[in-house]
Amino acid sequence: MRLINKLLGRRDDRAPYSFFGGISPPAHKTRSLRSRLMPTPIPELLLLPLSQNREADAIPVVNVGERVLKFQLLAEPGEPQGTALHAPTSGRISSISMAPVTIESSSPRLCMHLQTDGVDAAIDVEAEADYRALGHLQLLEKIELAGICGLGGAGFATARKLSLSINQGVDLLIINAAECEPYISADEALLRERAVDVVSGADILQSISLAKRCVIAIAEDKEDAIETLVAALKTSSIELITLASKYPAGGEKQIIQAVSGMQTPSNQHPPSIGVLVHNVGTAYAVYRAVVCGEPCISRITTLTGAPLQTPKNFETLIGTPVSFLFDLCGIDSAIHTGSIVGGSLMGIKLLNLDVPVLKTSNCLIAMSASEFPAAAPELACIRCGYCATACPARLLPQQLYAFSRSQNHQQIEDHGLFDCIECGACAYVCPSSIPLVQYYRTSKQEIRQLQASQQQSLRWQTRFQQHQYRIKLQQEQIQHHKPVSIDMDSIDKQADSEETGQQATSEIPKASFSRELAQQEIADAVARVRARKSGVIASSNNNENGS
Amino acid sequence: MLLVIAACIPGVACSTWYFGIGVLINIVLAASMAIALEACALKLRGKELRVHLADNSALVTAVLFAIALPPGSAWWLLAIGIFFAIVIVKHSFGGLGQNLFNPAMCGYLLLLLSFPLDMTYWHIPNGGVLGGDNFTVLSLAGFGQSITASLPIFNHSQIPLQETIDGLTMATPLIEFEMGASSALLAARDAGVSLFSRSSETAWELINIAYLIGGLFLLYKKIISWHIPVSIIATITVISTLFYAPASFAIYGTPYLHLFGSATMIGAFFIATDPVSAATTSRGKIFYGIIIGLVIYSIRVWGSYPDSIAIAVLFGNFCAPALDYFCRPRIYGHGSKPKHKVQSEPES
Repeated sequence: MRLINKLLGRRDDRAPYSFFGGISPPAHKTRSLRSRLMPTPIPELLLLPLSQNREADAIPVVNVGERVLKFQLLAEPGEPQGTALHAPTSGRISSISMAPVTIESSSPRLCMHLQTDGVDAAIDVEAEADYRALGHLQLLEKIELAGICGLGGAGFATARKLSLSINQGVDLLIINAAECEPYISADEALLRERAVDVVSGADILQSISLAKRCVIAIAEDKEDAIETLVAALKTSSIELITLASKYPAGGEKQIIQAVSGMQTPSNQHPPSIGVLVHNVGTAYAVYRAVVCGEPCISRITTLTGAPLQTPKNFETLIGTPVSFLFDLCGIDSAIHTGSIVGGSLMGIKLLNLDVPVLKTSNCLIAMSASEFPAAAPELACIRCGYCATACPARLLPQQLYAFSRSQNHQQIEDHGLFDCIECGACAYVCPSSIPLVQYYRTSKQEIRQLQASQQQSLRWQTRFQQHQYRIKLQQEQIQHHKPVSIDMDSIDKQADSEETGQQATSEIPKASFSRELAQQEIADAVARVRARKSGVIASSNNNENGS
Repeated sequence: MLLVIAACIPGVACSTWYFGIGVLINIVLAASMAIALEACALKLRGKELRVHLADNSALVTAVLFAIALPPGSAWWLLAIGIFFAIVIVKHSFGGLGQNLFNPAMCGYLLLLLSFPLDMTYWHIPNGGVLGGDNFTVLSLAGFGQSITASLPIFNHSQIPLQETIDGLTMATPLIEFEMGASSALLAARDAGVSLFSRSSETAWELINIAYLIGGLFLLYKKIISWHIPVSIIATITVISTLFYAPASFAIYGTPYLHLFGSATMIGAFFIATDPVSAATTSRGKIFYGIIIGLVIYSIRVWGSYPDSIAIAVLFGNFCAPALDYFCRPRIYGHGSKPKHKVQSEPES
């Protein structure tokens, strides 16, 4: 029947909305959904990284040793992409120092160490009963002050994303509740218990972005959440769309394709086609920020995995150490082999359990050998093409792999390496167990490095040519015995360009007190430079390599 | 890979039923030599044997190669072919996944070019259907004759070709068309050949149906995609229907003969679908199948080689990289331009 509809070009109403490719790995979600959403006790020490995403650190506004209260502003964003940081509970700032944080890898970042006092004393927050009375820019300001960033994954500042999309104009706002990656159930737990608040949050986001249409998109297998959402949406103009439950339905590009049928153009953001996507967790944080007046100090995090005795979803304070949460769930360290932050397909392995929960940490998985067996040995690619069937970006992973191995950068870029969203669907289906995504990451890095070094050598080449040109000009002036007017700027430039390689130029600024002496010195320097013309080229190459 | 071999079982069983134990001897000899050669090649290349032998790719190559060879081929013939296939075509190009051409078909073609007589002599114990009915191919005497033919060490004097050669038991009925021996075939048809009489025409019909069943099993298990077999079979059907005329039946054959009276099914489902040397994009696979179908038909009808699958597949292998380059799917977010949209004025 579906085939007939497809042939006739009709849309089958029963068919869930879908996108290219995708995989259906075992979900492993029921385990953590057995219990209700729970708040955590307050840990003794909270680690608050000054940056929750890849952007620059926020600027602290409190001093070390100062006592802070819950909801108090600790650091304000240093740049538009940054997010503000608030105290999740009351306590004393014991230090601001480097600590390991899992943002892209487990590299140390600047963190505030908050020694909690257990009192949980809060500053007064201003609740806003009727948010509809506020203008959309006022709402936007509230979100910016609340320090909300995308709670689904990349952690892009929500206020920034909204203001960019306001400028471009948005027709469709999608609230992403697909949560397609195995093990993660935070959004489902949230919707199951607080769907009404999420719907208010979505409503606020719609009124800020001025979108004509707002859609909540959820995977069709989340029946409980769909039930509560349907009830919550009864009086709302927001639509509910069920998506095919396959991975990566929750990818921004994929959810846009599934909901609207449009594709985000390569190298552009969704607002360029009039679409804006926000995570359902972000919508809830927006509700809390606007209606309750509370800044973003907690998030819902799934704790799951076979070594945990009571896997569940926690409403976790930002900055809680991972080890504290694992202990709360009763971890069986005998079978605990490792930990992941994020889902099992795109998550990052934790090397250190003292890292804090970030605004983007939606899931913490304790791995066991039975669920996460050691990687099978990598076999040869037989070009079976399963990966191409699974790829949601419609790439040819088998070709990319071949070009990645042969370091054929031209071909690999022609085949769309930079359109790869690194979802890992290809590696999941690979019968030869090739870690394809690792190959693509390596190639991306290689190409970026190559481009950077090419740009740098171009810069050095230009500077060298300018340097030669200046020498030529000065020489002409000397030969014609014209009175030379020394342009200090040009000398500075010359010094600047030679500072890394040549010591001769250090004499020039010294001579500046006497015009004649300066002329003499320049003439000498020029003669020296002329004598070593070929040497200069060599040294310039050395500079390029050295810097 | 083991599923591919499993899918060959009905076809191999049918062949054995008609052509005797020689089919199985071919497979056993080829498989053991292939595994030994694969192990040597892996050892020389410094690969871990246990991991890389377990992929069973050498076994699949050996089975497909052995099926293509006449039953009861001499061991040295198999050895030359399998050495060329495994060591030269596969490992010297960089091993599994790196070979440009289908190893089994390269081995077959080398033998066809070097030993044309041995490669077109299909040994059937006791001369098949016409030679009398002293014993059948599956009787003990039939086994004995097949083993002697395969391992001429035991009996240096080969069975002279002219004594047992038999038009009806040659490789495929199509060869008889090539050789102008269609009268025997037509006579057999007129006589109303029954299903289990060992005539080559019904034999090949049944063998093809058996391979078709195996191929459908592979499709069902999603080991192969539908693109290549469907496009090959469709191309052959279309072009043979186009040229079909009852008057020139003896030259062009019937569509039915092209599909079931030859090695079409095994070629379409088992040989052309070798993923390593075939096109890998969906559209590329369709063009790849069309090219192979056209070449198969052209060589059969206008060419001078009796078996066209091997040559057609190698021809397709040559085209595959170019097809893949030109048939890349449109990547997400490329192509269609973003729709024009109305800028909404932000409120102040």
